[in-house]
Amino acid sequence: MKKKGIIATLWRWIKRAFWGAGKEISEDDKFVVEKIESPSTMAVKAFFRRKLAVGALVVLISMFLFVFIGPYFFPMNLNYTDALQANMAPNNTLMKVPNELENNIKNINGFADFTVGVSKDNTLYLWGNTKNNLTNVDYAAFPDEIQAGNVAHAAAGSDHIIAITTDGKVVGWGNSSTGQFGVKKQESDPYTQMPDVLLNGTIDASKVKQLIAGYQATALVMEDGTMYMWGNNNAMLSLPEFTKGDKYNTDVEKVAFSNYYAIIMRKDGTVTGGQTLTFNMQKAYSNKDGEIKNLRTYMADRTVLDIAATNNCYAFIMDDGSIVVFGAAEYGEKDIPAITAEEKMVSINAGTRHFVAVGESGKVYTWGHNDGGQCDVAGKTAAEVYTGAKQTYLVNEDGELTDKAGFSGYVMGTDNRGRDILTRIVHGGKMTMTIGAVAVIVSTIIAIIIGCLSGYFGGWVDMLLMRITEIFSSLPFLPFAMMLSYVIRTMPIGETTRIFIIMIMLGLLSWTGLARMIRAQVLAEREKEFVLAAQSMGVKEKRIAFLHILPNVISVILVNVTLNFASCMLTESSLSYLGFGVQQPQPTWGNMLYGANNSIVIQNYWWQWVFPAIFLSIATISINIIGDTLRDVLDPKSSQEK
Amino acid sequence: MGKYIVKRMIYIVLVFFILSFLIFMIYNMLPSDKAAESARAEITANRNLKYEERYEYWQKQYGTNGTKVERYFRWLGVYPYDNGSFNGLLQGNLGTSTKFAKPVTEVLVEPMKNTIFINIFSTFLALGITIPLGIFCAVKRGSKRDVAVQVGTVVGYSLPTFIIAIVFIWLFAVILGWFPVSGMQTAGSLNWSPWRQFWDRMYHMALPLIVMTFSSLGGMTRYVRAAMIEALSMDCIRTARAKGLREKVVIYSHAWRNALLPVITLVIGWFLSIFSGSLMIENIFALNGIGKTYYDALQGNDNEVILALQMFYIALSLFGNLFIDIIYGFVDPRVRVNK
Repeated sequence: MKKKGIIATLWRWIKRAFWGAGKEISEDDKFVVEKIESPSTMAVKAFFRRKLAVGALVVLISMFLFVFIGPYFFPMNLNYTDALQANMAPNNTLMKVPNELENNIKNINGFADFTVGVSKDNTLYLWGNTKNNLTNVDYAAFPDEIQAGNVAHAAAGSDHIIAITTDGKVVGWGNSSTGQFGVKKQESDPYTQMPDVLLNGTIDASKVKQLIAGYQATALVMEDGTMYMWGNNNAMLSLPEFTKGDKYNTDVEKVAFSNYYAIIMRKDGTVTGGQTLTFNMQKAYSNKDGEIKNLRTYMADRTVLDIAATNNCYAFIMDDGSIVVFGAAEYGEKDIPAITAEEKMVSINAGTRHFVAVGESGKVYTWGHNDGGQCDVAGKTAAEVYTGAKQTYLVNEDGELTDKAGFSGYVMGTDNRGRDILTRIVHGGKMTMTIGAVAVIVSTIIAIIIGCLSGYFGGWVDMLLMRITEIFSSLPFLPFAMMLSYVIRTMPIGETTRIFIIMIMLGLLSWTGLARMIRAQVLAEREKEFVLAAQSMGVKEKRIAFLHILPNVISVILVNVTLNFASCMLTESSLSYLGFGVQQPQPTWGNMLYGANNSIVIQNYWWQWVFPAIFLSIATISINIIGDTLRDVLDPKSSQEK
Repeated sequence: MGKYIVKRMIYIVLVFFILSFLIFMIYNMLPSDKAAESARAEITANRNLKYEERYEYWQKQYGTNGTKVERYFRWLGVYPYDNGSFNGLLQGNLGTSTKFAKPVTEVLVEPMKNTIFINIFSTFLALGITIPLGIFCAVKRGSKRDVAVQVGTVVGYSLPTFIIAIVFIWLFAVILGWFPVSGMQTAGSLNWSPWRQFWDRMYHMALPLIVMTFSSLGGMTRYVRAAMIEALSMDCIRTARAKGLREKVVIYSHAWRNALLPVITLVIGWFLSIFSGSLMIENIFALNGIGKTYYDALQGNDNEVILALQMFYIALSLFGNLFIDIIYGFVDPRVRVNK
């Protein structure tokens, strides 16, 4: 009986009051015989009548689509890590240049997950991930010295900001625990302190040529070639050498920071990187075409126009306008694009893994890692280019932002190695579901074979198979799986094989319950008349067992396959969570939670455990709801009772 | 009854041998050689010694010479070492822990106590909640409260323990600050009075116990409810009601007795499974139980501890199964097995 609205009910009552109920049923309806439906159609209909189950099915299907189609949209580099992007909260403001700044940009500077910009009217702007979740340092809380209209220069490092006010005061804020600015706390700290001139006095802000901040270090270059450099000696390894004496900090034109080293361009166009980098330059290096063998001899009689550094690579623009890159290129930092013969490069900039160069014609050339689209501005024109970690900002002569490209943020944050959690959830879900599915298929096949044989043939076959089942079922699941995984780990096999073995292992350990159920069901079915009929017709025994009896057991199998799928996924997750399943860097929903059971992660990096946990929970909950509903609708007894 | 028990016992011992042999073979696939390590250590200390000689000597000492089958029987304690002595499982020797440099049996005493305590405590807690709840749901079947509990239990048993644990740590330890995040006792509590030490321990155990209880609620409530519904639909219940018995008597005396059988199977099976299930909890909360010991042994390549604990888990589940069979006979007169 369909539910009807109140008005319809009232109307029906009124109608009945005058014409009586009999009028509603037409003559034809009286004799209509209820349509006969097959049990499976009835079951399907009953299933779709349940809103909760249909909801769960929709959720599960969308999740399937998400994890199996998603990897094509979110490609993943398994070996990718980026310490500068680690532990970032969900955010999409990494490239959000404030409106006020957009049309009068003086400078933009970013090194990690937040970027500073200074406008032509000397106001400081900040965007990106402005709050550190672990240290609770808020970069947006400017010190009192910083006011609108008095900031001449500013630079953002990995966890600190340095700004120079118009009256020449150098101000730092953010994290100062490793000597990023201010006074050393102890004499023994391995930090190079800010020079006294900057700490207590002022400098001529109009004579500042360059201010650059990097990983826990900062450098300041004046017009007259004086360079000040300070920060953490253990983070910026060139610091002690460059700050000792006057050898390096005079006649400086420009400084570039990679992750661990600084490189200096002198006013005379020579480049020096201190001892370590100079040594590295002597080793055989080559550009893309393999022309240059020893960079140092190559550069000996040449001068350099501009320098830039990514995390691991250094790029020089030579006096003939060509580009030379050296360093450990992992993400295509050495794949310099083709440049026409008449084009000469004039300036170069670098993010953490990409380079942006501008030619004489104003044309922009980009190369390197393009994971956030930061290289998508190639071919456009600009007067000035600024870079964030994974962002490129193009600015014209009037200081107007003409174009920007790059990474705008992580929807679900990043993990402790700077990997995007959304991408890992997509790929991890694919892995978790594949493992669950394969394990279920393996266990179901074994269970069907053993259950059918055992139930149908009885006797010693039954006896033997049931004893085997008993042995398998008395293996304690988790400890045994952990031990197997431990043994596998010591063997010299590839990760893919290992994952495959884990799938099979889960399947081999989880078939016993279903086999027993199938056996019991087959035992009941084989006493029925249709089996006798088949036997008397001379059908082969195997055929009867698998083709005549098995279809009658299918409902038991179906329900159990569904429920087993959820439990296999859970087992895999538990194993991976303990570190005995799929290993990092290959993600699964379980091993993404590995290491989440300490209070730092739970409290400060909530996104690292909330998202994988939600996805895993929703998947298993919906599978279990579907399984339960299937059991209800497939079991005639239970539906009659209700 | 007695005959049945003996029969089952013999069978279980047989299965234990099969399984322990299997485990021992898997264990032997590990690329670790104690004799080689000892010999190498000796050579480094004293250059004059010959490696082969020392290796052979240590192999004899450890009983790692001979075929795998021989080694298995040595481990069991039914095959002699080279000097003619028996030293294996039957003699109470489970090997030596490399990490603690102590016999495995000694290493396991303290963790075993803790694990048993946690498990028994959480079993009682869980039973105290789930049995009344399950009966209630079965009696009020189809009511709104029942449906609500049903949905809750589906969610409950779909969630893996570690997610429940993380959420509870976040809620109770981090946000509310009621319980410590992990650990067994406050640092420096060894000088306290025994009473205070006990309460300190209970304070540290509270959150793990809550998590363990909570994570078992879902499955157990469903099971009790199903068993009770099955029992309530029996003819004898209809008769009892027709006789005019009070509803309470019908439910608790007639139906519950019938539902008890599957529930007992569940309780014992569950009790056994939480031994391996508490592995997770012990690791998350850094409790010194056998699960944690097992995990640490796996992480630290302490192979003989791994082997001993693996055998313990297997023995536990086998004897649990035997126990279930025997209890069946006592609880249910129909299954008084005397085949």
